[in-house]
Amino acid sequence: MKLRNTTNKSLDRNRPGWFPLESTFWWLCGMGLHVTFWGVSISAQDQTELRVDYSQQVRPILAKHCFACHGPDANHRESGLALHTAELAYARADSGEFGIVPGQPEASGVLIRIESDDDDERMPPSDHGAPLAAGEIDIIRRWIVQGASYEQHWAYRPMQRPEIPAVNQRGWPRNEIDYFVLAKLEQNGLAPAGRASPERLVRRLHLDLIGLPPDPEVVRRFAEEPSETAYEELVDRLLDNPAYGEHWARMWLDLARYADSQGYAEDHYREIWLYRDWVIEAFNQDKPFDEFSREQLAGDLLPDPTEAQLIATAFHRNTMTNSEGGTDDEEFRHAAIVDRVNTTATVWLGTTMACAQCHSHKYDPISIEDYYGLFAIFDQTEDADHYDERPVLQRYTPEQLQDRARLDAEISALRAQREQTASEQDQGVLDQRIKDLQAALQAIRPLTVPIMRELDDNHRRETRLAIGGAFSNKGELVAARLWSEFSRELGERPTRLDLANWLFAEARPLTARVAANRHWEKIFGRGLVETSEDFGSQGSLPSHPELLDWLAAKLEADGWSLKKFVKMLVMSETYRQDSRTTAEKLARDPQNVWLSRGARYRLTAEQIRDTALAASGLLSPKMFGPPVKPPQPKSGLTAAFGGSLDWETSPGEDRYRRGIYTMIRRTNLYPSFQAFDATNRTVCTVRRMNSNTPVAAFVTLNDPVYVECARALGRSARDHRVESVHDGLVFAFRRVLARDPSAEEVGELQSLWERQVMHFRERVQDAAALVGVEGEADLPYAEVVELAAWTVIGNVLLNLDEALTRN
Amino acid sequence: MLQKQSRKVRIDSMVDSLKRQTRRHFLNRCPLGLAGLATASILGTSVSDRVIAGERVPADSRSRGRVKHVIYLHMAGSPSQFELFDYKPVLAKQHLQPCPDSLLANQKFAFIKGHPQILGPQFEFEQCQQTGRYFSSLVPELRKISEDLTFVRSMSTDQFNHAPAELFLHTGSPRPGSASFGSWALYGLGSENENVPGFIVFVSGGTNPAAGKSVWGSGFLPGIYQGVQCRSFGDPILFLSDPPGMDRSSRRASLDSLSRLNRIHAADFGDPETQTRIEQYELAFRMQVAAPEAFDLGTETAETLEMYGARPGENLFANNCLMARRLVERGVRFVQLFDWGWDVHGTGPHDDLNHQLVKKCSEMDRPVAALIRDLKQRGLLEDTLVIWGGEFGRTSMNEARNGSKYFGRDHHPHCFTMFFAGGGMRPGFDYGATDEFGYFVTENRMSVRDLQATLLHMLGLDPYRLSFPFQGLNHRWIGPTDEGRINQDLLA
Repeated sequence: MKLRNTTNKSLDRNRPGWFPLESTFWWLCGMGLHVTFWGVSISAQDQTELRVDYSQQVRPILAKHCFACHGPDANHRESGLALHTAELAYARADSGEFGIVPGQPEASGVLIRIESDDDDERMPPSDHGAPLAAGEIDIIRRWIVQGASYEQHWAYRPMQRPEIPAVNQRGWPRNEIDYFVLAKLEQNGLAPAGRASPERLVRRLHLDLIGLPPDPEVVRRFAEEPSETAYEELVDRLLDNPAYGEHWARMWLDLARYADSQGYAEDHYREIWLYRDWVIEAFNQDKPFDEFSREQLAGDLLPDPTEAQLIATAFHRNTMTNSEGGTDDEEFRHAAIVDRVNTTATVWLGTTMACAQCHSHKYDPISIEDYYGLFAIFDQTEDADHYDERPVLQRYTPEQLQDRARLDAEISALRAQREQTASEQDQGVLDQRIKDLQAALQAIRPLTVPIMRELDDNHRRETRLAIGGAFSNKGELVAARLWSEFSRELGERPTRLDLANWLFAEARPLTARVAANRHWEKIFGRGLVETSEDFGSQGSLPSHPELLDWLAAKLEADGWSLKKFVKMLVMSETYRQDSRTTAEKLARDPQNVWLSRGARYRLTAEQIRDTALAASGLLSPKMFGPPVKPPQPKSGLTAAFGGSLDWETSPGEDRYRRGIYTMIRRTNLYPSFQAFDATNRTVCTVRRMNSNTPVAAFVTLNDPVYVECARALGRSARDHRVESVHDGLVFAFRRVLARDPSAEEVGELQSLWERQVMHFRERVQDAAALVGVEGEADLPYAEVVELAAWTVIGNVLLNLDEALTRN
Repeated sequence: MLQKQSRKVRIDSMVDSLKRQTRRHFLNRCPLGLAGLATASILGTSVSDRVIAGERVPADSRSRGRVKHVIYLHMAGSPSQFELFDYKPVLAKQHLQPCPDSLLANQKFAFIKGHPQILGPQFEFEQCQQTGRYFSSLVPELRKISEDLTFVRSMSTDQFNHAPAELFLHTGSPRPGSASFGSWALYGLGSENENVPGFIVFVSGGTNPAAGKSVWGSGFLPGIYQGVQCRSFGDPILFLSDPPGMDRSSRRASLDSLSRLNRIHAADFGDPETQTRIEQYELAFRMQVAAPEAFDLGTETAETLEMYGARPGENLFANNCLMARRLVERGVRFVQLFDWGWDVHGTGPHDDLNHQLVKKCSEMDRPVAALIRDLKQRGLLEDTLVIWGGEFGRTSMNEARNGSKYFGRDHHPHCFTMFFAGGGMRPGFDYGATDEFGYFVTENRMSVRDLQATLLHMLGLDPYRLSFPFQGLNHRWIGPTDEGRINQDLLA
């Protein structure tokens, strides 16, 4: 009864600052899995006795329904009640009642409110959210009955190295991963799929490890003897292939928001590709992930940093620069620091910190002081939205260094000569020559790359809270500090280097889980934590928590070697499963959460380009260097206050380079990449979307780049029709799909080829246009007609669903 | 033979079941008409599935939701309100007098330095008899349709550089990465004609808007909701045309083969994505026919072309206005026009009030008036909302950068003017007012957030609940706080 008296006061409906951002969606993702899991494995009777898991079951409910007003954000806390820690939840609220009394559901205000039928009493208030479902209320009740124990959010807890689980189908597992996966499959009444065919495995490995399709000869050799040794050798060869770095760098450059332009209105060219090359090399050298991270976050703060370690710090110089006239440089410097904090949190901690720019986080334990503590760490670098991007590192190429040395020597020699010269006239001549040489010396422009450089002690900035996130609205002074969740001792004035070290020390459980999950996702198409960008309470729960911990611990134990990690994933039997599915499996597990089959997903924008070029024999193997400009359609437009958006196609082999080298201009992403969901690299991107649209179909059907590939593929197929058209078709099919066509498939293609030959016999001009030989004299008529038909075949093959998909 | 036939039967039944699945997929996940759009997924996980798991797109039960189509005319660079619609006689009186100190306290300018001078309106104003509004001599045609227009004279933003201000207005955040208005509209309402993209963008004036493609980007929404930028030359939609030498029969034959091969694969692997891809290719084939027809101004009468001042084949704002009407007629949900050249600083004749603004208005006045008249006479204005505006306002003072002799005005975030027509806006109505210098809002301030809340409401969507989960937050167009208010006064 005491409760009733206080109801109205404690349940004020018109609370200012309420955030109606319930995360029903994430909750459902998480709980959906959860319900399936529990529903399948546990009978209803057991449930009343079963221990409720705070992290997996209770916290998602509290986060969804309660934390917005009764959570970590003390400034928007209602009725003095907070439910995110035991200490606060067990305490007396403003009303005098207790939110939660462990073991006593009837005395716990929270339970009374959520169960109430009275609109005035029930929580959450009707204008803020729907009442809790019966199942949710039951979980809260059982949790209170069982003592309402709290535990740290799962992702922050120390890593366990779980026991390898026992399984029934003992013949199946090949490495530890398989035991974890199979145990879950068996719990869910599912069985693993058989092994994919050797041909498909070779293609899958190539696409996953180097991003390119296999040479048909490699496929043939493996298919003839698909032994375990041959498989492992193939994996090792691919990991050693320099194309490995080019493929994996793409993923990292999305995180690093790497682009070749500054962004905003003018969007000028930014010379920063030495950083892109550094990333490719780092992957190829298998630089351990901790070192890789440390060099990017704080390479400049390492003792006697090498040139490469300084280039690595360009990671955080990928922030945008606004050179539009009339901008306040401090505003955009501030924006860049915000981006560095947010990006660092997303990349290494899988945590969305952005909310805490304006207020303490509603769901995760991130206070506004935590946010600006990190901000203060990043606030001490020299760069300040300067037009010229200073500070930059200058680097001369070996040829340039030679030229400089030669010119220096000549200048010194002339100077010495001048000393010896008495005649004024001769001196004049020598002076002129010296001047000319100096000009030549000046003209040798080094490559530059923007880097991080710490301000010296006399110029350190004072960091203040930005009230409401506005750079000009300064609040109180804040000291640099690390996120309190992982840092009991905040230390004195931590630097970026301290931050980098902390990620691999105190914050290691989260860092390792996030990194392990991201690599798992790139290989299996879906993370064990589906929301690979969010390991906070709004993210999804891990489908295989023990496996994730095991992987994270293993990654660390293996010295953070990403190549070893990736190898372990692809050596598993789980990886080698066939990706065929059955109606039953599709119905029971549409997203393949339990891994009862191989993953199947569309290739990335860059892979689609690279595989088409590779299959048609056009791909240039040239690595590194300035960004290139493959053909792109004219827009007829310029950037605002900047140069033309159109470009001259790069000459020679540069038009056929891998997608990772394509110039990325932020305001005008390369159109065919845009159609396949590449990012414009303005913000850190963990997962790209995979759309399936007619606009994308137009690219692979009609973009001149792909028409050129179709022609080249068709031409080499024609050249390989050893005995018959059939041979040519099989050749082209193998080049694109790395397997032999079935009789039905080759029959379809042959029929198309024959009909197209008939078609083009009547339309020789069209044939010449399609083959790209219009206006060329004395071409044999029959040859052009056949080549046109082969081009149509090439076009069809490059557009097959299977060609665009990693299977 | 028999074997082949039975295999064919098996494939057909498998594909049929996939089709049913795909269809069920759609029906479940698209309660408010998202069907007809392509699917999207995150690395193989269908995003649309995630929409099923999440909330349905929330309809705003209080809204009559009259607006079915939006035509957003953005004058990139931001036109001067003082030379078009906001008649401020005090400015004329104090022309080139030092600006009152009261306007300068705590003010920050992009370019103005020192103590600036007031700048009088550069053109004559004439009152519209029916509505009593003043219009400058630069916009005579808009004056004639004044009765159809709703003006907001108290728009206000908190960004005063072009790129951030455009991003804030269109995506709800001054930094890139968020979804644009058109994307939200398409996400919320779906498309009516799947043979033409549902969100189409045209850029005129030779230059992209300051924030580039991000202002029509889908941000955190799936890529299928991003604006499709169309060109006024060559293929209107990139890569729409078949390769040279490939005619329709050849394309059809190759698509038939492609489809048969994909069906074999679908039957073998059972992935609904394959079936979706088959459908997307068929959609592409139909779009190849529908789109050129939609974009062909040649089928318009000479009278209509004359009314807009359109000249087929050229890159004109007028052509894009006429295109907008054609697309809306064909069920396109959202047409966004960006016209460059309104950033009138007065550093020279290329960006001043007396030359450049005159030129821009002569290119804008007639086609915009024609568009509104045309929509009205065709009965389309009822459910089409036309929006006109820039990203911020201009100063009451002369910028005089480096002592320039040309008249121009600097960026001004505190107030600017927008107008609207159709879609349930109250015609002939004026909302908000500014002081005698047109410097601060004196009544009924309407923030960008208010505008966004109001526009979603007019589309029948709940601005407070229309959200998309990304990185742990349910993102909304109106931003994380509820400061944006639906402005009921504007609605008829």
